[in-house]
Amino acid sequence: MDFANLASQLNAGAILPEGIVIITLLVVLIADLIVGRAADRWTPYVAIAGLLAAVGALYLGWNRLETVSFLGSFNSDNLSLVFRGIIALATVVTILMSIRYVEQTGSDLGEYLTILLSATLGAMFLSGSEELVMIFISLETLSIASYLMTGYMKRDLRSNEAALKYLLIGAASSAIFLYGSSLLYGLSGGSTSLAGIAAGIANSSQSLGVLISLVFVIAGISFKISAVPFHQWTPDVYEGAPTPVVAFLSVASKAAGFALAVRFMTIAFPSVSDQWQFIFTALAILSMILGNVVAIAQTSMKRMLAYSSIGQAGFVMIGFVIGTESGYASMLFYLLIYLFMNLGAFTCIILFSLRTGTDQISDYAGLYQKDPLLTLALSICLLSLGGIPPLAGFFGKLYLFWAGWQAGAYGLVILGLLTSVVSIYYYIRVVKMMVVKEPQEMSETIKNYPALSWKPFGMRPLQVGLILTLITTSLAGILSNPLFNLVNASVADVPLFEAAVPIRPAAPVSLQVPATPLSAVVPQSAPQAQTLNVNLRS
Amino acid sequence: MLSLLIWMPVLGAVLLTVWPSKLSAVRLRQIAFIIMAVVLGWTAVVGYAFTSSDASLQLREELPWLEGLGLSYRLSVDGLSFPLLVLNSLLTWLALHATEAKIQRPRLYYALILLLNAAVSGAFVAENLLLFFLFYELELIPLYLLISIWGGPRRGYAATKFLIYTAVSGVLLLGAFLGITWLGGMASFDYQPLLTQTIPVVQQCWLLGALLIGFGIKIPLVPFHTWLPDAHVEAGTPVSMLLAGVLLKLGTYGLIRYGMVLLPQGWETLAPWLATWAVITTLYGALMAIAQTDMKRMVAFSSIAHMGYILLACAAATPLSLLGAIFQMVSHGLISALLFALVGVVYQKTGTRNIEVLRGLLNPERGLPIIGSMMVLGVMASAGIPGMVGFISEFLVFRGSFPIFPLQTLLSIIGTGLTAVYFLLLVNRVFFGRLSPQVTDLPPVTWGDRFPGLILTGLIVLFGLQPAWMLNWSQATTTVLAAPLIRQPLITQATPVISPSSPL
Amino acid sequence: MNLAEGVQTISFALLALMMIGAALGVVLLDNIVYSAFLLGGVFISISGLYLLLNADFVSAAQILIYVGAVNVLILFAIMLVNKREDFSPVPRRWIRKGGAALVSVGLFALLGTMVVQTPWVIPANLPATTSTLIILGEHFFSDYLLPFELASVLLLMALVGAVVLARREYVLDDEASVGEMPQLPLQLPERPKEPVALSGTSAPSR
Repeated sequence: MDFANLASQLNAGAILPEGIVIITLLVVLIADLIVGRAADRWTPYVAIAGLLAAVGALYLGWNRLETVSFLGSFNSDNLSLVFRGIIALATVVTILMSIRYVEQTGSDLGEYLTILLSATLGAMFLSGSEELVMIFISLETLSIASYLMTGYMKRDLRSNEAALKYLLIGAASSAIFLYGSSLLYGLSGGSTSLAGIAAGIANSSQSLGVLISLVFVIAGISFKISAVPFHQWTPDVYEGAPTPVVAFLSVASKAAGFALAVRFMTIAFPSVSDQWQFIFTALAILSMILGNVVAIAQTSMKRMLAYSSIGQAGFVMIGFVIGTESGYASMLFYLLIYLFMNLGAFTCIILFSLRTGTDQISDYAGLYQKDPLLTLALSICLLSLGGIPPLAGFFGKLYLFWAGWQAGAYGLVILGLLTSVVSIYYYIRVVKMMVVKEPQEMSETIKNYPALSWKPFGMRPLQVGLILTLITTSLAGILSNPLFNLVNASVADVPLFEAAVPIRPAAPVSLQVPATPLSAVVPQSAPQAQTLNVNLRS
Repeated sequence: MLSLLIWMPVLGAVLLTVWPSKLSAVRLRQIAFIIMAVVLGWTAVVGYAFTSSDASLQLREELPWLEGLGLSYRLSVDGLSFPLLVLNSLLTWLALHATEAKIQRPRLYYALILLLNAAVSGAFVAENLLLFFLFYELELIPLYLLISIWGGPRRGYAATKFLIYTAVSGVLLLGAFLGITWLGGMASFDYQPLLTQTIPVVQQCWLLGALLIGFGIKIPLVPFHTWLPDAHVEAGTPVSMLLAGVLLKLGTYGLIRYGMVLLPQGWETLAPWLATWAVITTLYGALMAIAQTDMKRMVAFSSIAHMGYILLACAAATPLSLLGAIFQMVSHGLISALLFALVGVVYQKTGTRNIEVLRGLLNPERGLPIIGSMMVLGVMASAGIPGMVGFISEFLVFRGSFPIFPLQTLLSIIGTGLTAVYFLLLVNRVFFGRLSPQVTDLPPVTWGDRFPGLILTGLIVLFGLQPAWMLNWSQATTTVLAAPLIRQPLITQATPVISPSSPL
Repeated sequence: MNLAEGVQTISFALLALMMIGAALGVVLLDNIVYSAFLLGGVFISISGLYLLLNADFVSAAQILIYVGAVNVLILFAIMLVNKREDFSPVPRRWIRKGGAALVSVGLFALLGTMVVQTPWVIPANLPATTSTLIILGEHFFSDYLLPFELASVLLLMALVGAVVLARREYVLDDEASVGEMPQLPLQLPERPKEPVALSGTSAPSR
């Protein structure tokens, strides 16, 4: 295989967006290294520009003729493009809200951005991976970056605790995922590509081995999307981690998890689709019920959003389990909408906590008197999360339920409707706290609310993020046709949703030593996890 | 044309919210008046363009919106929705008049009222199930805030109760709409194509059950009514006027438009039960009203009782009874708004609504003579005394329903008798007799306070004497609406159907 | 069964016994230093298994990385911490232990059944290879090129992260520009939930 031949087979143009992100990452890192803290003034904007350029590159890659690249490692089909776009945009908004936060806590912005960008990179690669090794490496990139960011506020006990908890549970779930993958590798007779696995296990689809590997893989994925009962880490991590990181985890990391779930399940497990749909249905039911019911009892805003994000993941899973094209489309649409409304809510609570230093719901009492814009934005975002028309979340939920109803998942849809009533209750509790309270019922925090100023460094981006998410959340539902056409188109051309096993050429290089690829991965990633573990303790 | 009815208030609300310079409460009130007056005027223009002899949906507007969802922006109006539309614009305008001039947080208040108006108008003119649902849910948050910010001492509780009930109702409606569309084999939620659906009767009954509970919460029918008295008692006067006058009508309107018309076989199957349910609601509401000591609570329960008549008329579903139902919706809207407005004035002036404390307010010197007179008149209208709008509507309802459900109709008539009982109790205690010592130094009543009451009283008498002016709007429509449901009456009489244009 | 197979079977059995024994020791022994050393034993046994599978490079890498680096690091960490703290015995500890044992045994039974029952697809004619290193290299630069390159980003990020976590922070004096709320650097701006409300808005000291 000569070089020119190989280069053409690689089809490296497919990962142009990721390439841009890598270059941005390096620029930020090196600039921070050379210039020092002074670079903080402009590195965030470099990162944002890079991510937007990546989104532009994603747009250029729409409807590629040849989507499979790197000999089957990565597939840049339209579906992955939308997921990668969601992730990149989520990171852009996250950066907007991070600048002031990181600055005010006195941490280093350059390293923060580097880690955030590599998490984005991992998530973006995860959305298009079609091969076990690639999936695992990108999953680990995302996970390890998330652990690092969670523990970024290292003087704070809560941040440390959250990071350690996240690391331990995350490492365990990675291990489970890896075990399931290795079983698949063996069951399929030595194939690491998802299509090859599907072909390999097609005959023995009901065997115990396939089922166990299915369960293990789902357990690994469910950790990422924090579906009940793999959610235990979520509330503590959300409470302890820096808020922008929480925002990133709740949107980008979750979107990547869903991308992985869609790709893994539909390509590798078409022969056991009943089983995985059953498992995910159970997860969706549990997530919707537990997430929404427990959220009612929360007193901390971040914890409430943590549980609400579990519930929201349950709604998204409706679109996933019904397994129809419109189901996947509605799921993508909801994720797009969810990006803006959830990040909008997080921007608001960051702004609030920066100004007052608290995130207790009771401290929001009477906010409208002091900060009408913040009140408006937070109300709109929360009501949208609750699905109140005519905000974006309402239409997102409607698409999901309509798709679910068409597919005959009546029980799920009815449960979704009921739990969304529950969610309206706890979202509106916050709105009520902010809007309804009389001046004399104002909380101490609000009485001491600092004068509004967008002057300090990093406030302006926060304001931009706030306005951006506010406008999108208000209008994206009403004007959702372009978005919906986009997600429909992304789902329509993808062969992976055809009922039969997709026929895809296997990787051209045959595998001769069965034990090699997976064991080659382990030494690369596992030591990192353990090194970190040690570092955290010291 | 119809779009303007929705968008003018919305724009007005936005304008009020974002107007940069400082505006006093009085100035904001004036602006809101002007906006609502324009809307009311525009309603009149719509009325001019509305052809009352045309039974079909008219003045249609159509814009594709979200095809993927089957949601399109289709508006139209017919004889069923037009009177309600007028009622909505009128009552909102009057509710603004009934608002205190120096209300707290005026910007938000007037914006929310306008938004509420827009949402209700939208629900009445929507010609797409999902669009209706959208507007139906849209009204939720403004009303929640209106109750929970400008309400009485227990407003938080009342508002939350209202919110939960209405949200559940919305969920049931959405479920039923999804079911109707999907079982009817449609890809879109448009209203017209759904008229041709053929869903098996059993499924129709299920869907109708969901719709009945959904709208039944809104109307409200008896086991689901508990939010209403609380909401009324805690809400301010203008909000009560709107709630009783317009928002409850959303329930009955939806029941006719989406329950009866879309699911005729199911409706026919369940109709006897519905009629019985209506009777229970009426009698329960009336009996509860007797036991109340709070004037507002009493009016609220009387509202429940009167909404029962509408359900009875809908269950009978003869052209005449439907006409009666529409007329009853309007007349109840006018009467209950009047009563709430007057109770509001009494409360504002005397500081209490307790009928055991108040006495002799009709006293011409130191009492509230004009308010009291209007109250007596409103009470008479509500009890169905001839010459006022309540008599016409109740007569039409009973006359239309009697051939189909004689027993239930007779029982409902007892409800009318009870209405007279509790309202006479109210009037007797509060307005007649010696002026009670607690309320001697009453602040003067201005003409501004009396204005909404006077307008409503005028309309009540006017339509009581000339009902044909309004019945003409709906007559053609009701004939068509009832067409799939024409049944053999239980009592076959050779009486010709009374022409509604001359019911007296 | 010829001699080669016999040797293979016996060495597999020995290695497996060694590994399981050492792993049990890691979990069950109370002294953490013993556990750390036994962990090295586990790693070495695993590398022996790799050798049996003809994976010589992986086996060497296993010893170098896990035993040479990871395990030594763990020992360093243990010795540096050097904090003797007696664990107070948890009441009803046997319930937890029993539960853990039960789950482990159940999982083992399940996986064992699965391994025995599953018809594993084994490629019939594995070509004899002289060096797995070459094959690994070929894979790294052909079909596993992308993960291989991505791993470099992963390592870079982990490096940066490790530096961030390990670096000593100097609290700058000119923190007056930080903002409205004076607080220690590197802490969440939100107050903890504990009742520190008495001390006002200042963050708790540790």
